[in-house]
Amino acid sequence: MLYTFMVYIALSIFGLGLIYSLSNWFRFSIGFNAGEMTTGTRIKAALKGISGLFNKEKLNVIWTVFVQKILLQKHIQKQDRLRWIMHMLIFSAFTFLLIFHAFDKIIVTPIFDRFYLSMNLWLVIAGLIVLAGLAIAIYRRYILKVSRLKTSAMDLYTIIIIAAIILSGLLMEIIKLSSYSSYQSVWWLHIFLALLGLAFLPFSKMFHMFTTPLSLLVNAVIDENSDPANIATKQVMELDACTHCDTCSKHCSVAVAYDTLGNDNILPSERMTFLKEYVANKNISAKKLSGIQQGIYLCTNCDRCTVVCPAGINLRELWFSAREALVQRKQPVNLMLTPFSYFRGLNHQRIDQEQYNIPLDTVKSALTAENDFSSTKLDAPIVLDHGDNEFQKTLGISERTESFNYCFSCENCSTVCPVVINYADSQQSLDLLPHQIIRSVALGLKDMATGSKMLWNCLTCYQCQEHCPQAVKVTDIFNKLKIISIEDHK
Amino acid sequence: MMKYTLFVGCNIPARVQQYELAARSVATRLDIELVENQEYKCCGYPMQNSDNKTFLLMAARNLALAEKEGLDMMVLCKCCFGSLKKAAHQIQHDAGLQQEVNNFLAEEGLYYSGKVKIKHFLSILFHDVGIAAIKEKISTPFTDLNIATHYGCHALRPSDVTEFDDPVNPSLFDDLVKVTGAKSVSWPLQLECCGAPLMGVNDTLSMDLAEKKLADCKDAGADYVCVGCPYCQMQFDRVQNMMLSEREMTQEQEIPSIVYPQLLGLAMGIPEQSLGLKMNTLNITTLESYIKTETEIDSE
Repeated sequence: MLYTFMVYIALSIFGLGLIYSLSNWFRFSIGFNAGEMTTGTRIKAALKGISGLFNKEKLNVIWTVFVQKILLQKHIQKQDRLRWIMHMLIFSAFTFLLIFHAFDKIIVTPIFDRFYLSMNLWLVIAGLIVLAGLAIAIYRRYILKVSRLKTSAMDLYTIIIIAAIILSGLLMEIIKLSSYSSYQSVWWLHIFLALLGLAFLPFSKMFHMFTTPLSLLVNAVIDENSDPANIATKQVMELDACTHCDTCSKHCSVAVAYDTLGNDNILPSERMTFLKEYVANKNISAKKLSGIQQGIYLCTNCDRCTVVCPAGINLRELWFSAREALVQRKQPVNLMLTPFSYFRGLNHQRIDQEQYNIPLDTVKSALTAENDFSSTKLDAPIVLDHGDNEFQKTLGISERTESFNYCFSCENCSTVCPVVINYADSQQSLDLLPHQIIRSVALGLKDMATGSKMLWNCLTCYQCQEHCPQAVKVTDIFNKLKIISIEDHK
Repeated sequence: MMKYTLFVGCNIPARVQQYELAARSVATRLDIELVENQEYKCCGYPMQNSDNKTFLLMAARNLALAEKEGLDMMVLCKCCFGSLKKAAHQIQHDAGLQQEVNNFLAEEGLYYSGKVKIKHFLSILFHDVGIAAIKEKISTPFTDLNIATHYGCHALRPSDVTEFDDPVNPSLFDDLVKVTGAKSVSWPLQLECCGAPLMGVNDTLSMDLAEKKLADCKDAGADYVCVGCPYCQMQFDRVQNMMLSEREMTQEQEIPSIVYPQLLGLAMGIPEQSLGLKMNTLNITTLESYIKTETEIDSE
């Protein structure tokens, strides 16, 4: 009686959780351009998409993915043999236990009468195989310490719940031989743990047993040209398909920046964790926002994460959507003025023109606002304190950047600058010309030197530096000034 | 046989795959062995204007990995090349910095001494392989083809750091083009920037610069512009394609861009599939019509 009651409770929580998660896929969106679509539109689009799969070509693709990637997981084997062994041990033995033990009355008994009687030994072996897989998981996380592999509370829960289910099961088998009363209490414990795992499955990492295969299948039949409604739905689903395995972070091109800056959001796997929360609740603190903005913008869009993701998640498109949504949040993103913006520029036709410009204007005015160059009037003569000025000292630490001292104002730098030549009214458009920036540095005028539009329109083409008769490292100095400005506006 | 460790960077595998494909095809013909290293990450280029320490460590980690292999580095991208050279230069001139870098690298069991040679693909072809050796492999040279060579800023300058070629009057790239039978036209804006570093920051300015350059080499009679850098290639290929729809630029003003190993490969008789000609956004397959016919070759 109590047993039946517990089963139904667990099943109800599981069912409601499933409905809740599924509804999230159709209710929420990450993208900047999916906001207008109603849940109804998205469900209709999904059904239409699914109905389009019933042809020989598509079914072939699905079958190949199912065998190669879902059953054999060959793509994981190629990447990391140890991880593949770990996962295959857990995956195969746990599936075996589910079929021949947990759901034996539903699946096995009707086919093979009295089959389960001889099964105990096999159950013990399967349990031990799962434990061996878990041991590798623990070994990877805590002894091998795979580089940049982060362990979240959810990762820990997953290991613990599986271990607890298996261990209680094994204990039950052992105790059965000696004491019936203790056997009963361990049986209850085993049932309780198994049902706990089941009930919370849709809310936990274990949900990936449904979502990861789904992601692999969906991404095999969907691409950038598919119905935007389906892409929006898919992107929310993909957040549930991520198992936090950290393969993306291991291969991430800018992982070194995580080591130096310590911002978790630079690592793709951690961005996924953030997005899972963000998609449901978009109210985040300014500090958290700037962390995630830096994290998601500090990306060379090298596509490696997408290529290696064992769950087949199209991370490239996920970042594109999420990045756009996050830069639109009226808080300046300094990295937008660096070459990290190249990919966004290359894709500007995919973004509404006005929306495209807003975040750029925001950061440009944040970094150039302090000066009104046209009306700068000096109330008093500038005190020349060569060597004592803190700002100049910062530049003086390198032989290259201290070269500003040699400038004799020949203006060669401004003459050869392709940016200056591009504007008929260069002084108005750029605030200061290159030689004027160098003069500002020589006079110790930090705000002027770091705040002009010229600085942020510098190509770093090094024409100025190459043509300076005094060997002033103009571009190197500009780079340093940009760094100082970005530091000051953190 | 020459042997290098190949550094492809971030853009090539994601967006300019034809460059790597063609470079590998050409390298095979020239008996150059390229060793792959999956551990390489971003060269640090996009960090230069915001965080010098991160930039240096990103670059140094790659350099240390190359040293561990004991091979010279072949770099395809000019921005990666410039960035790695710049980091090596900074570290070389600052002993304290070298210590700091190595403390960081030690975590991964790496060490950077500064001995690895960083070479751009075009430099390797010119200096290590040599024009004469390349000439021997040319089987189907071009005729009546006018090429505008675009040198790329971050290889050429700052010249004291990059040591690529004469920064004011370079000739290496032109010689490499001439060996294919094509003519290298002279054009006033040859050494100017393609505009790529400002794409995404100030698109109008970035496109202005690209447009001026393209118009300039077209005026000089070029049929194609030729580059040795993925950023320049994207700028003259994908961005030019965007410009054709966004700006008052007509089809007649269009001038397609080709990465150098595609050009060289065609002159070596390598099939177009191995050079990824169809992977460019703008059509460059017409280039094959400039190849001399066998009778033309025989009559010479």
